[in-house]
Amino acid sequence: MAVYKRGYRRYTGPLTGRWTRFLVLPRYAWRRLYQQRLVLLLTILAFVWPLLCTGFIYLTNHVELLQGLDKEFLQFIQVDGRFFSIFMYVQAGFAVFLAALAGPGLIAPDLANNALPLYFSRPLTRWTYALARLTVLAGMLSIVTWVPGLFLFGLQVGLAGGSWFRANWTLGAGMIAGFFIWLLILSLVAMASSAYVRWRVVAAAVSLAFFFILGGIAEMIDNVLRVTWGHIIDPAWTVNRVWCTLLGVAAPRGPGAGASAVALVVMVVLLVVVIERKLRPVEVVS
Amino acid sequence: MTVQAERANAVSEPRERSEPAQRRASERVGGSGGAQPPGVIFDEVSKFYGEVLGVNRVTLNIPPGITSLVGPNGSGKTTLMNLMTGLIHPDNGQILMRGISPRDPEALMRITGYATQYDTAPRWATGFTFITTGLLLFGYGRVEAEEKAWKALEHLSLTEAANRKVAAYSKGMRQRVRLAQAIAHDPELLVLDEPLNGLDPLVRAETIALFRTWASEGKHVILSSHVLQEVDLISDQVVLIANGMIIAEGTIRAVREEIQDHPSQYLVRCRDASDVASRLFSEDHITEIRLNDDRMGLLVMTRDREQFARALGRIALDGHRIDGVVSADENVDALYEYLIGGE
Repeated sequence: MAVYKRGYRRYTGPLTGRWTRFLVLPRYAWRRLYQQRLVLLLTILAFVWPLLCTGFIYLTNHVELLQGLDKEFLQFIQVDGRFFSIFMYVQAGFAVFLAALAGPGLIAPDLANNALPLYFSRPLTRWTYALARLTVLAGMLSIVTWVPGLFLFGLQVGLAGGSWFRANWTLGAGMIAGFFIWLLILSLVAMASSAYVRWRVVAAAVSLAFFFILGGIAEMIDNVLRVTWGHIIDPAWTVNRVWCTLLGVAAPRGPGAGASAVALVVMVVLLVVVIERKLRPVEVVS
Repeated sequence: MTVQAERANAVSEPRERSEPAQRRASERVGGSGGAQPPGVIFDEVSKFYGEVLGVNRVTLNIPPGITSLVGPNGSGKTTLMNLMTGLIHPDNGQILMRGISPRDPEALMRITGYATQYDTAPRWATGFTFITTGLLLFGYGRVEAEEKAWKALEHLSLTEAANRKVAAYSKGMRQRVRLAQAIAHDPELLVLDEPLNGLDPLVRAETIALFRTWASEGKHVILSSHVLQEVDLISDQVVLIANGMIIAEGTIRAVREEIQDHPSQYLVRCRDASDVASRLFSEDHITEIRLNDDRMGLLVMTRDREQFARALGRIALDGHRIDGVVSADENVDALYEYLIGGE
């Protein structure tokens, strides 16, 4: 056996920030996502509605352009909670389809390639890996949800002035909080389906089915049992119920905002557990 | 007595006896005069996957150098490697990797390079991007990461293919890029699962030379391999594992010396093989002799290597010409056969 000498020196140079290091993964992922034509096309389409809303805000703040129109119509075009809730519904729809398109590529390829040991043999924990994957989707969906929402809110504040902001700042905060909840649910659903289903198309279908099937079951429960609490298992409905409270608009009949929030927390916990079970560095024999 | 219990009894002996060999190895390690680098230490480590045994009560102290984990499929080699790299944690016992617990991945992964046996590189990535991304995750700045990635690719002769997609690599190139990502951050502890699979003879020789260089720098190179001749060629020591239990560990010679059940085999090359055979047969420790067809050599089996050496010396002094003596079973192949294959 050779006589060994310590001929190496450990690295002592500077390192990048420990808490921002995981952003390496999203950076590469975003680049690849926007190389997909369908993702790019859907993202561009998702800006059409915010553009129309921009025009709407401009018009409502320039009444001179609307002279001669019906008074009832003039009362209808207001930038209020209802306006932001409609904006959010449309953008949330785009977000669902974008998540279904982009989500399957998040974890499934790493599982298929047995790449998790590779990630975890870096200074990267399971949770930072999960956070990195969540950031990929949340970041991409942000571009079509709260970012244009914030732009619209800012535009309205700019045109209507400080008094409007003081009276309506809760709309902006509510909109951002509402979108964050939606993005969290969407991202976790997409990650969970990506972790369990390796075929992209099937994973995308599972992502969409999660919302449609739970919505359908909720409707069935309500209609068969003649109740309204069945909506509690419908993630889209519960998120909408929380939005209504955040934006101060009329809520649909059914469980209250508190119950809906609790249901969403339970959903998030369940999804995290589902993902945690799959994100193992090695295949575990059972 | 169950087969497992028999095996446990059978294997406990070589392990206990291998301690002097370990000590000798440690003494040699400390022989450089400098501080002895801390080893890879497993202390009574057990890992179960539910009711399935991964590894059971593993106690090891691996000094720096090239160590090969040898055992049949499902014996627990990869489990040992995963335990070393902190990808799984033991149910019992403690592990220290050069003084660092695998439960501290931030510290452990700075000094550890791990190459799995799988094609883990994403298909969209080029060899260069793949390695650079890994280094960025280690926390290196972009410029430094790119420099280190390039250096690693140079080590593995992959610079020409650096900007090609990994998906277009041959099997051997994918193996090399796996190795490159493991060494890119200049770790002092390399854990390599089947690192020589798929490499052509030239690259294989270069890679083995690279392992030797790292080992000579005092690094740990721990690898698993099914190719026993290769293990023989490159390993400073071996760890034989079967059914999740350590069968033997130490240098090949030390382990072989401790296997008393099987006589040692020597090939003796000599002119007058018949005479030499008759002289050797008078010795008590000789159990069997087989003459070569050409009558120019013999295969001798002895229970006592030292007595055999002395007897051969006496025969040579009496005027018999001995052209050469080679051990026929001081190799991993034989150890495997004796300790694992024969059961």
